Amino acid sequence: MRAYAEGLVLAAISCVAIWGAWQVPAASPGDTWAGIVPFAAAVALLALSGFLIIGATRQSAGEAQSDPDNGATLEIVGLFIIALIYQQSFRWFGYLVPTAIVAPLVLYIFGVRSRIGLALSVILCPLVFHVIFFVLLGVFPPYGEVFDLLNWIQG
Amino acid sequence: MEIFPALLTVITDPMLLFAIVLAAFVGMIVGATPGLTASAAIAMLLPITFYMSPLFALAFLYVIGKSGRYGGSIAAILFNTPGTAASAATQIDGYPLARAGKAGKAMKVATISSIIGDLMGDILLVIGVGFIASIALKLGPPETFAIYFAAFVVIGSVIGKSIVRGLASALMGILVAMVGLDPISSEERYTFGSFDLSNGIGLVPLMIGVFVLGEVFAQLEDRRKNPGETKENDSSQDGNNLTWDEYKPCLPHALRGGFIGAGIGVLPGLGSAIAAFISYGEGKRRAKNPDQWGKGALEGVAAPEAANNAVSGPSMAPLLTLGIPGSTIGAILLGVFLIHGIQVGPTLFLTDKELVYKLFACGMLGIIAYGVIGYFGATQVARLILKIPTNVLYPMIFMTAFVAAYSARGSMFDVTVMTVAGFVGWLMRKHDFNIAAFVISFVLAKGAEETFRQSLLMSDGGALIFVERPIALAFIIIGAGAIAFRVRGVLKDRKLAAGGLGDA
Repeated sequence: MRAYAEGLVLAAISCVAIWGAWQVPAASPGDTWAGIVPFAAAVALLALSGFLIIGATRQSAGEAQSDPDNGATLEIVGLFIIALIYQQSFRWFGYLVPTAIVAPLVLYIFGVRSRIGLALSVILCPLVFHVIFFVLLGVFPPYGEVFDLLNWIQG
Repeated sequence: MEIFPALLTVITDPMLLFAIVLAAFVGMIVGATPGLTASAAIAMLLPITFYMSPLFALAFLYVIGKSGRYGGSIAAILFNTPGTAASAATQIDGYPLARAGKAGKAMKVATISSIIGDLMGDILLVIGVGFIASIALKLGPPETFAIYFAAFVVIGSVIGKSIVRGLASALMGILVAMVGLDPISSEERYTFGSFDLSNGIGLVPLMIGVFVLGEVFAQLEDRRKNPGETKENDSSQDGNNLTWDEYKPCLPHALRGGFIGAGIGVLPGLGSAIAAFISYGEGKRRAKNPDQWGKGALEGVAAPEAANNAVSGPSMAPLLTLGIPGSTIGAILLGVFLIHGIQVGPTLFLTDKELVYKLFACGMLGIIAYGVIGYFGATQVARLILKIPTNVLYPMIFMTAFVAAYSARGSMFDVTVMTVAGFVGWLMRKHDFNIAAFVISFVLAKGAEETFRQSLLMSDGGALIFVERPIALAFIIIGAGAIAFRVRGVLKDRKLAAGGLGDA
């Protein structure tokens, strides 16, 4: 079942890639088509997905691998969603506020239960990362369009 | 000969020496920490090196890579958990030695053998790289494309459990690299009308995502599956010291391992793990005491460790002479070269020869640095690692990944790319796809496309040009041969196992 799913996902990706390569305009005279490499790679990927699906059909039911998950996948999907929201919130609230919220959350997910530790992370994580990257390395921090704590602190 | 003035220059620069020692220490810690890899550390530190001089940045990351390979043996011997895939072969004899109270002895054998292997690899690199570069200068686009083709096929098919998944990973890397404007005609490809996508996918965020954030996801999964604690094995007083009589039988294994590692290192994509296992197998076959191997033979530690580290230097040869990274660390270093405006390839030896030899000199000094730290302090390093709370370490790595990805170009789009790449990287690992093949192919794709299209223009559109030119044909045959060889191996294994058909 898993091999089937993998084959089908690969086939879907390659179909999108073939369609995307097909959208590239034709080459001007004396030039090569800009879509030739993506097209060739996508077709090769489609062929490999075919191999995966054929391999899956030949696999007997008894060979199906059982991988104990223990809810880890859900936890990872949860962390990925947090990551997506975290990076998006840089655009809205700058670096400091999202980091102050996400740091204790991620520490909690990884098993830190000390209240003092979690509380300290709210202050220390944004502070330490801000000092290293935005002060010492001189990188310009992301600006929060809705509210930016750094702007507010600096007046 | 260029290496001697380069060594002198590096030795007389205290800041560079400090960076080398610091990198040796950092690499050792990273390599010895189960779950953390030198690739992850280098990817994470990459944005910081934007603010350093090219030599400083390259030396710092190169030595971390070298020391990280060695550091894996510490965890393999002391905790029975290989810090890197390559040190899994060291674990076979290293851990039984540690259980017998000879952890210190095993660590010292690993350190000396690593130094021997690594120095052998570097010396062969210094001797051979100029020669390879002079040949590479004579290659035309069809030959260069054929080399790229062979690299794609070897990287995709030889490493990893499945040929199909490996090749699919390489093709996905190529497709992701195609996003953005075509460098020749400036036509948009896979941009779907997005301005951000028209600039292409950045190497740095992709690397940080796949190697750093992907690793954090993998560690979260691992914590659920293996909640046990890691314990160190104590060494008795006698088990801590190593005499010359004890190391003497290990020396031929270390020297052989050095040659095996150096030979495998030149071939793109094969990597340290394969070298270590081949050296272990060859060592056992030729050993006077094969029955002892697997139960705690010092020679069983020397053979894989020398091979594992000997890969490091020669794996730089295809990167520096052809612009083809032989490993993930090589792919990241290629990024550093490009970031600092240095074009990697045969012309590098005409434009920046001094820099290259200074980098080799830094590598050699890095070997001595990690050797000294490891010989006298490996057990202390192990104790330090046991004190690092992983439940704090990985959240901190998670947070660093975001700010590091942003710092590369000050781009929020890069942070989004990094986040998505992290999740995709974890999914690929989970489903046995090959992330090394994915990343290396991503790096190689643009160069391969350029040479492919130049070749087509040269031949007025005919693909026969790749068959008509003997060197190009030879490399295409090598690529096809690699697949055939691997398929044969897989079929043989299946017959032996008398099992079902996976996906070949």
